[in-house]
Amino acid sequence: MSTYSDASSVSVPLLKARKPTGLSGVVPALIFVGIFFIVPVVSLLLRSVMEPVPGFGNYVALLGSSTYLKIFANTFIVSGLVTIISLLIGFPVAWALAIMPGRIASVIFSILLLSMWTNLLARTYAWMVLLQRTGLINKMLIAMGLIDKPLALVNNLTGVTIGMTYIMLPFIILPLYGVIKKIDPSILQAAALCGATRWQCLTRVLLPLALPGMAAGALMVFVMSLGYFVTPSLLGGTANMMLAELIAQFVQSLVNWGMGGAAALVLLVVTLLLYAVQLRFVGSQNAGGR
Amino acid sequence: MLLNFDRLGWWKYVLLAITVLTAAFLLLPIIFIAALSFGSSQWLIFPPPGWTLQWYRDLFADPRWLESAWTSFTIAVIVTILSVLLGLVTSFGLVRGTFLFRDGLKALFLTPMILPVVVLAVALYAFFLKIGLGGTMVGFVISHLVLALPFSILSISSALDGFDKSIEDAAVLCGASPLEAKIRVTLPAISHGLFSAAVFSFLTSWDEVVVAIFMSSPTLQTLPVKVWATLRQDLTPVVAAASTLLILLTITLMAFVAIVRKVLKQ
Amino acid sequence: MSESFLQIRGIRREYGPVVAVHDVNLDVRRGEFLTFLGPSGSGKSTTLYILAGFENPTKGDITLEGKTLLATPSHKRNIGMVFQRYTLFPHLTVGENIAFPLKVRRKSKADVDSKVKEMLRLVRLEGFEDRKPAQMSGGQQQRVALARALAYEPPVLLMDEPLSALDKKLREEIQHEIRRIHQQTEVTILYVTHDQEEALRLSDRIAVFSKGVIDQIGTGPELYANPRTRFVAEFIGDSDFISCDLLSSANGQATISLGGEAVFNQIPVHGNAASGTKAALMLRPERIRLSRNQGAPKSLTATVSDITFLGNNIHVSTETAAGEALAVRLPFGHEAITGLSRGDRVHLDFDPGAAHVFC
Repeated sequence: MSTYSDASSVSVPLLKARKPTGLSGVVPALIFVGIFFIVPVVSLLLRSVMEPVPGFGNYVALLGSSTYLKIFANTFIVSGLVTIISLLIGFPVAWALAIMPGRIASVIFSILLLSMWTNLLARTYAWMVLLQRTGLINKMLIAMGLIDKPLALVNNLTGVTIGMTYIMLPFIILPLYGVIKKIDPSILQAAALCGATRWQCLTRVLLPLALPGMAAGALMVFVMSLGYFVTPSLLGGTANMMLAELIAQFVQSLVNWGMGGAAALVLLVVTLLLYAVQLRFVGSQNAGGR
Repeated sequence: MLLNFDRLGWWKYVLLAITVLTAAFLLLPIIFIAALSFGSSQWLIFPPPGWTLQWYRDLFADPRWLESAWTSFTIAVIVTILSVLLGLVTSFGLVRGTFLFRDGLKALFLTPMILPVVVLAVALYAFFLKIGLGGTMVGFVISHLVLALPFSILSISSALDGFDKSIEDAAVLCGASPLEAKIRVTLPAISHGLFSAAVFSFLTSWDEVVVAIFMSSPTLQTLPVKVWATLRQDLTPVVAAASTLLILLTITLMAFVAIVRKVLKQ
Repeated sequence: MSESFLQIRGIRREYGPVVAVHDVNLDVRRGEFLTFLGPSGSGKSTTLYILAGFENPTKGDITLEGKTLLATPSHKRNIGMVFQRYTLFPHLTVGENIAFPLKVRRKSKADVDSKVKEMLRLVRLEGFEDRKPAQMSGGQQQRVALARALAYEPPVLLMDEPLSALDKKLREEIQHEIRRIHQQTEVTILYVTHDQEEALRLSDRIAVFSKGVIDQIGTGPELYANPRTRFVAEFIGDSDFISCDLLSSANGQATISLGGEAVFNQIPVHGNAASGTKAALMLRPERIRLSRNQGAPKSLTATVSDITFLGNNIHVSTETAAGEALAVRLPFGHEAITGLSRGDRVHLDFDPGAAHVFC
């Protein structure tokens, strides 16, 4: 037992730096991710500036050629279209789900989840069949008298857009649903009492409040669409390539690691930039808003 | 008013219509493929002239389909086990740990989830070629583990975060060693997180296409790769049969998850 | 005589088998502050929501200045409302919030700006135009909500327990503000609360709600001195109840006997019951006279169970021979208190005119 001296002679203990704990838990995963994620990605990117000769030749070839630029353009246009269409359809659906009676909502949710969890190839295959010249969609359109010759709905970017929208819809609807559900209904009631018509309530109150959710969902869908491989390859046909298939072609068919790495880095940089923009936007929202 | 279903007026019907049409749009292809798998048309004409089980017979008769399914299953099981174990250990470190860059590290672990898969697939393909693991089971398992781990960490950390550590401390005070306390008290309490991690890891590996396309060799194919390769050639209804079985698997899994969730809630 | 300004007639609201509002009838005078007072589930909020247009009544009608209100949708009713929860638009500044109803009515920019300034002055929040709701306290948010509701000069302002989320001190401050704003703007206010003190402090008249009907409407003093139902007697102010035997009743006055001995007559009675049945005698604690000696001829004997000092008055808890608890309130310094202690025997009596019998 130590004896306590009087207060005047007690020295203030130096503040010890907090001893780090829990490191042992993350070390295995850190090693794993380091070796099998960081190293492969970094070396691929390095190859883009090292092969066939050191320098930025690959990037010049990539961004200077009109063929490749067309592929970039196609990728951005399709991704943009998919995002816009998904938002236009997804917002009313998310809104309806947030306010409709629980039982109908559960059924719709189950359908959404079933669609999300069902194998991607199975779903894409379905569209390959449905959109054929002799497929069900064309048959129905002709039967309804809307067209007289079958439309080319697959093996082109139209098919890709339809298929991708199908895949991406749940990814917009679910987060938006969460956001709208959190809005206090009394706010909309107050807006109505202030004299706003339904349309004014929608444009001046509901949409602005749902905007952060819409932006987050739109960004996620856009980024996913940019890098998507399976659906664009199957529905787009060989003449209409998008970025992911281009990368695959460089690597698998042409064994051109330099160009493949360069295209991959372009995709990576665009993805990271978009995320950075969102982080900045969300950050400023949180500072001023709720 | 806009958030009250009954007071929307005629807008209610517009919203309802769009929702029902969208649900139908989402459901249609799935039902269509299931119906098609029983149709007797070689060229996938719909409505089919007749009904048959021929495509299923073809599917089960072809050893390559069954092989690829078994390969997928094996890989998925191994990946699930590794992913849950590694995710568990990592989550403990992330949730309980106090060290610099903890949040940055968590972001790093979650990165494979948000990056385009094709970049990852190509990078891993190149890497494994260099170290001679291209087209091997080990290569497959490692690649899928990289993709599944973020989901596992997310589920388990979230469950662990919601668990009050004082309960574990109380067990230690009762005489259990820290490890024993974790196994006997904490693990059961976060079992729903472990279950989610297992389900997501399994599905991530089972359904994975892009990495598998690069990792596969003529002797080692997963089921998605077999489907992909077949589809590149023609649209045979055998794929419809395989797809229908996969859809059934999804429904069974969703039902299974719902039941287990109910049981775990007690 | 003030003409009928707001008339509520026969309002009934059913939710399937549940009847939230049975039959509410009310005449609201222009410019008055009327409070709907009652426990939760009594139908007061539902009635208010019917007035706002968020609920449709199963039966009944409401007319404002002669025109029926029920056919008009909420956004055309031109009524102001302040809610229990903070309903400011989180994405707009304070100034934009107040400007919202004016912009929706297509007022000119000059009109909007001057009105916003005027309203901020009214609720004493000048200079807060550019703040966002998240940067303000609960009390400030409700004041902005009030400013927004009054910005378009509605004839009626509805307030649904707007202060229940605030702490006591803040509540009293804002009650004071509301009273001041009422006097300044002369708007008709319908206020819902379950807090009788708040009702007494703010209102011109109080409508006491119980189980979907209005038990009684009146000023605070009227309700306190002459409650017409047992519920109103219990809800407003403190009350003591003693069981008694009803000997006879006629013309609103009854004769009762207490404890089988003392007989009192000419007590105001409410409700119908046959002679010889049991009834309840209600007394306010400060109207019971307590003495140590057998002073009055007819009195009730009781034993002191507790004595509490509450500042300017003393609270004496007693128990009658029949086992009923009676609280007596005496001013500090009253002669009967000196030397009074637990277990002492005391004699209680009262003035029949100050009592009420409920059957």
